[in-house]
Amino acid sequence: MTAAASELDRDLPNPLPRPEGELEQLQAIWASPKGWRIFSDVNNTVIGLFYIGTAFLFFLMAGVLGLLIRLQLAVPSNTFLDQNTYNQVFTMHGTVMMFLFAVPVVEALGVLLLPQMLAARDLPFPRLSAYAFWAYFVGGMVFFTTLFFDLAPQGGWFMYPPLTNERYSPGIAADFWLLGIGFIEISAIAGAIEIVVGVLRTRAPGMSLTRMPIFAWTMLIFAGMIIFAFPAVILATMMLELERAFGWPFFNPDLGGDALLWQHLFWFFGHPEVYIIFLPAAGMISMIVPAMAGVPLVGYRLIVVALIATGFFSFGLWVHHMFTTGIPVRSLGFFSAASMAVSVPSGIQVFAWIATIAAGRMKMTAASLFVFGFLVIFTLGGLTGVMVAMVPFDWQVHDTYFVVAHFHYVLVGGMVFPMFAAFYYWMPAISERPLSERLGKWAFWLIFLGFNTTFFPMHLTGLIGMPRRVYTYPEGLGWELPNMISTLGAFGIAAGVGLVVVDLIRNFRPASSGGPGNVWNAGTLEWLPNDTYATRSVPRVVSREPLWDQPGLSEDVEAGRYYLPGSATGMRETIVTSPIDGEPQYLMRLPGPGWSPVFAAVFTAAFFLLLTVKLVTIAMICGVLAIVSVLVWMWGSDPAPTEPADIGGGVVLPTYATGPLSHSWWAMIVLMLVAGALFFSYLFGYLYLWTVSPQNWPRLDALPPLQTALTAAALLLVSGSAIPISAALLKARRCWPSLVVATLGVATYVAAITVDGWSQWASGLRPDGSGYAALVFMSSVLQAEIAIPCVLMVGFLLVRLAAGRFDATRRVMFDNLALLWGYGIAQALFGMLLTHGFPRLVG
Amino acid sequence: MRARWRGPFLLLPLLLAGCSTIQSALHPVGPEASRILDLTWVLFALAAFVTIIVLSALALALFGPDRARRRIADGRTIVALGIVFPVVTLTALLGYGLWVMRENTSPSPAQPGLQVEVIGEQWWWRVHYRLPDGTIVASANEVRIPTGREVEFALRSADVIHSFWVPSLAGKLDMIPGRTNHLRFSADRPGVYRGQCAEYCGGAHALMAFEVVAMAPEDFDAWLAALPATLPPPAEPEATRGGELFVAAGCGGCHAVRGTAADGTTGPDLSRVGERRTIAAATLPNTPDNLARFIAEPSHIKPGVLMPPFTVLSADERRAISLYLAGLR
Amino acid sequence: MLGLSALAGAVLFAWSGVYNVAASRGHWWVTDVVLRFAMESSVRTHAPDVEPPELNDPDLVLLGAGHYYSGCAYCHGAPGDPIDPVASQMLPSPPDLSERSAQWTDTQLFWLVKHGLKYAGMPAWPAQDRDDEVWALVAFLRTLPDLDEAGYRRLVHGPERTEAPPGAAVLAAGSPDDVQSCVRCHGDADAPRSALVPRIQGQPVEVLSRALRDYASGRRHSGVMQQMAADLKSPEIDALAAYYASLPRIAADHAPDAEANFEAGRALAEQGLRSADLPSCLSCHGNDGLPIFPRLLGQNARYMEEQLRAWKRGGKGTSDADRLMGNIAQRLSDEQIRDVSAWLAAQPVDGVR
Repeated sequence: MTAAASELDRDLPNPLPRPEGELEQLQAIWASPKGWRIFSDVNNTVIGLFYIGTAFLFFLMAGVLGLLIRLQLAVPSNTFLDQNTYNQVFTMHGTVMMFLFAVPVVEALGVLLLPQMLAARDLPFPRLSAYAFWAYFVGGMVFFTTLFFDLAPQGGWFMYPPLTNERYSPGIAADFWLLGIGFIEISAIAGAIEIVVGVLRTRAPGMSLTRMPIFAWTMLIFAGMIIFAFPAVILATMMLELERAFGWPFFNPDLGGDALLWQHLFWFFGHPEVYIIFLPAAGMISMIVPAMAGVPLVGYRLIVVALIATGFFSFGLWVHHMFTTGIPVRSLGFFSAASMAVSVPSGIQVFAWIATIAAGRMKMTAASLFVFGFLVIFTLGGLTGVMVAMVPFDWQVHDTYFVVAHFHYVLVGGMVFPMFAAFYYWMPAISERPLSERLGKWAFWLIFLGFNTTFFPMHLTGLIGMPRRVYTYPEGLGWELPNMISTLGAFGIAAGVGLVVVDLIRNFRPASSGGPGNVWNAGTLEWLPNDTYATRSVPRVVSREPLWDQPGLSEDVEAGRYYLPGSATGMRETIVTSPIDGEPQYLMRLPGPGWSPVFAAVFTAAFFLLLTVKLVTIAMICGVLAIVSVLVWMWGSDPAPTEPADIGGGVVLPTYATGPLSHSWWAMIVLMLVAGALFFSYLFGYLYLWTVSPQNWPRLDALPPLQTALTAAALLLVSGSAIPISAALLKARRCWPSLVVATLGVATYVAAITVDGWSQWASGLRPDGSGYAALVFMSSVLQAEIAIPCVLMVGFLLVRLAAGRFDATRRVMFDNLALLWGYGIAQALFGMLLTHGFPRLVG
Repeated sequence: MRARWRGPFLLLPLLLAGCSTIQSALHPVGPEASRILDLTWVLFALAAFVTIIVLSALALALFGPDRARRRIADGRTIVALGIVFPVVTLTALLGYGLWVMRENTSPSPAQPGLQVEVIGEQWWWRVHYRLPDGTIVASANEVRIPTGREVEFALRSADVIHSFWVPSLAGKLDMIPGRTNHLRFSADRPGVYRGQCAEYCGGAHALMAFEVVAMAPEDFDAWLAALPATLPPPAEPEATRGGELFVAAGCGGCHAVRGTAADGTTGPDLSRVGERRTIAAATLPNTPDNLARFIAEPSHIKPGVLMPPFTVLSADERRAISLYLAGLR
Repeated sequence: MLGLSALAGAVLFAWSGVYNVAASRGHWWVTDVVLRFAMESSVRTHAPDVEPPELNDPDLVLLGAGHYYSGCAYCHGAPGDPIDPVASQMLPSPPDLSERSAQWTDTQLFWLVKHGLKYAGMPAWPAQDRDDEVWALVAFLRTLPDLDEAGYRRLVHGPERTEAPPGAAVLAAGSPDDVQSCVRCHGDADAPRSALVPRIQGQPVEVLSRALRDYASGRRHSGVMQQMAADLKSPEIDALAAYYASLPRIAADHAPDAEANFEAGRALAEQGLRSADLPSCLSCHGNDGLPIFPRLLGQNARYMEEQLRAWKRGGKGTSDADRLMGNIAQRLSDEQIRDVSAWLAAQPVDGVR
């Protein structure tokens, strides 16, 4: 406490009383729009609730699909659902649960809780959150309704080609999956960028990384994993759509593609996905257990190390979904070992939670019960996980009901139970009334017993031979009884979930200000008195549980004795702090409500979905409208610098930052990591197909001439050298010359990648000719996907300069262009090295 | 805590009692499946042990005496139970698993063994036996093997990904277009063992099963030797008429019966269809009635099947064809 | 409020019976203008956005002419055959199409023929899944304005014949008209004049009688043949089938499609194609197949193509034969349809198998 006391020994607390009207101004600035205009709001408290509500709705709808599955399988040779309907139903159950519920709901909980937990007024990119939500909402709803038109995909949630290619899945159902899911993945990435920058740059002053709540750690790792894992499946969905629409044979073995390429790419995403879902849930448990036990988390550092280790390991396990594909035994051994190793970090966490429970006195609340349920079920799921990591055992149970049982134990235990715990635990922080403890306990026992009745017998069902994804089964194989029990149990789960819904309807009343307050006597900042602007003033924290260690903090914060007790600039704002120590660096001004993100999202969704139903003209119009909406949205961003602002406590902060200090720079770096991960996945695909069918790689004389390639490379280098020139001109306050150089530079960049793509075409290569050719042109697609935004950005900058919204100081957008442009050139050079160099190397 | 657990565990023996053994990994009849079952029991024992540890630790943490709770809350306990214990047991387990994997995949040096190629198609199994003299003989939806001898399966696919799985005999292995996977196993006892496609292959995936018939080696050798031969013409006049109809109605465009004009290869080979216990990829018992039903409306039995409905034929004609087919043995 | 009272007024007006529905009275001129305007706008809006086939195609025109004679001329008239006086008393009275079809584009005309007109007595095409037949009629309507009486008769009946059709004697039970109706399009001693019409001479009795019964019951779809077959009684069907079955087969003699790959067509017809799950055509349709299967050697290529395409589109009907062949035709590519039809058509009728 002495160290903490010295840290607090600043000009805090602020003098009281606070000036007249300060609080009223703060309230006015942060007020949510009224009536239907609420949909234009961007504040995390509103978007977060929309987000959770939508994700929970998908949970309920996909749960109903699960019940349909159980009804169909209750008795052998059932005719309740026909084959075609059943195949759509199980595909949608899996897809919706994974893509429209699990990932979005944890992302949503992050959006809702993180700023409060970090005592930030909002996330750093509120309109990006709004965009991510609306894109997800529209895309998800349309995707779900395909089920009612017999247009739902039926390839299973991992959509293995060749079953999902044009020949075996004609029609547009599979395209709905590919475009719809690809689009929702983009929304997830947008959210992830937001969360990374939010966690690293908008923490309360004094909240160093080591004082950060575990939930923030898990969300940081969650977002990081999304950034590296999702690009793999985005690439895979792009490739499969190109194969379906234009015959680029990435996965067709007759033309030098390979069906297993999809599985590698999909599971390179798909396995981390499981931990992407689980880690934030574990983070919630790590918040709830100490609050309920009344003691700090035991083994905080160990848990952080375990979380990071899980994040890393999870990228090295994907092949354990492919143990039965005939991959050489040697590599199976490696992946088996890695799969078992990943259970160690989970074990650490389980025992750390138990240790925390032992260290304190656990309150027996509904939330605590869900935590216990989580511990039991997740442990069992983890143990069956170790079992299926054993290759020979997996050979028997892979794709059987044993695996169905395993992943429901892991996912429902590891994610749904924590979610319900979180509902009961955090409700007092966001609702006027807490949920009913009595209903919650009933719900817990129904869900817990129902769950085990449903899924425990499935371990046996699988071992006695029942494969998954069968719409019917014959009598006499011994599967009747376990299936009937499972079906009965499923209705127990439904009853429990129904009780939660009843409880939510009865007691959940969103509260803009507070609610019952810190009813659990928890130690973290989300339990400070709250409003749409988060806390009245932003505290300086000195420990992991400030509410326990800093007596009177709630009252002081509420009275405005800490930082930023009002609005310093008259706009919405939040303090940007340094990534490691959490020291204030500058005051970020935040945008208020607006329709442009909503329109941008709706039109982006419309673009993808209309393309699917082949209404090309209207789709293109929507695509243009989406870009226009984004430009309108971006027009208002990057406000001009103002005088430095006094946030109280003797701290005066600038209101504008550029370069690595700027939150925008950080977001761009994260976006480049996404693009890099996408290109890395592509590189993997290229080299992988080469190992499978090297005979398709061209002879040297069939390659485009080296001179053309060198010309294109030279153009790229010229374009690259324009970046520092343009930056230097800007620094010398010569804005127009700077942008002219940038325009010419970007034009040269576009010319270079065009020349390169054309030279491949001129050499006679056609993308539908072979897997090799498709990959070569895929490289061009990936280059264009960076170049087009660069063109848009440079054009946008020219207009802003003409309008006086861009100059040598107000230059964040230029910095972003320079970063993306530089990355694009590097990626293009690397791509050319691959497409021209590699065939020469091996040819 | 414990009260909650009694429920599911008490059900276990009840469930096992109802089990049939024809498609069960818990009832192995060969060394490959037996080795995996031994591993399974070890894994279950270990899982049960760890479950008990976690549940007791949780119970103690909640309700135990202070001394025990202090012990559990100690960081060293986390290291011991969360790191040391798993690393040690998992390493041992991994070694055991790798051993089973090697044993199950390495060919036994003893005999040359039988080679069978199985090709997965939506939604049936094309079977090719390689005879000792190198000729290939076709069959479908049933594999006969000798007991006590290792059989090598070459697994391929004609369309989408399938997975070849006979739980009583071995683990599964996928059939992937463009690739050939190899699986070896043997059966200890004569009997009929059911297999089923284990990788979702669209449409009627649920109805894509087959049977492995393990025979005494001398019976098998005699059967295999007679397999390529042409069967004598049927004695019954109705079956004879069925044979004529079979060719004239175009069945031979897709199906083959060795020694007749029917030489189609699109559909399952029917040369010995009368010997099989089931039809439609182990979906229906093989009876003349079921055959006639299948001929009339195949998609009522297996939705999405390629075979068109033959309602253009009269019921008598379909009956005659089914009698002819039932006699192909 | 205003809307409600208007609605009440309309109900009252209808209930009172003041409005006179007599066709003899005609429409008030305003009603006429409004109805006409609404109809024309509706046709413009609904006409499909598709590329019409080549409408100058003589085979298409001939097929359309045959049907126009039996199906349309009664109401719409034809050169030398004015609109029937009874039909002309319909309200609105059917237009003379040699004058009025010029106002429509090809696709609008197609839409009108296919869907008919509400409140005008114009029926929709009986087989909604046979666009190929509708186009034949459109092709004929495009020719109609340029036809004189002789030209029209030539198109419908072929070259002038004075003697009664030879089949009339065979048909003891039925009316000679029936044979004449068939002969107009299918020929008897001569081959059909349009390549889109099948050569039914010498086909098995069972094939012909089954086809006519399927048309009559509506299980096999054709706007042309359903009309013809619906009038036939069972003995007439048997007699007609027997008559045509007794005629010698006539091999097609049209120039083959220049783009067709004969080798691919032969392979498909004789051996099938396992990679596409296709059985050989001749395992059923050769000369030794069961007499329930049509013989296809020497059949008109264009007829076979149109039939296969109709099955592939999912049309053509629900008869036993349609379900059998529709299943297989689904898997044929457009190229395979072209190749195999060309090869089959080019074979002698007593050719292989």
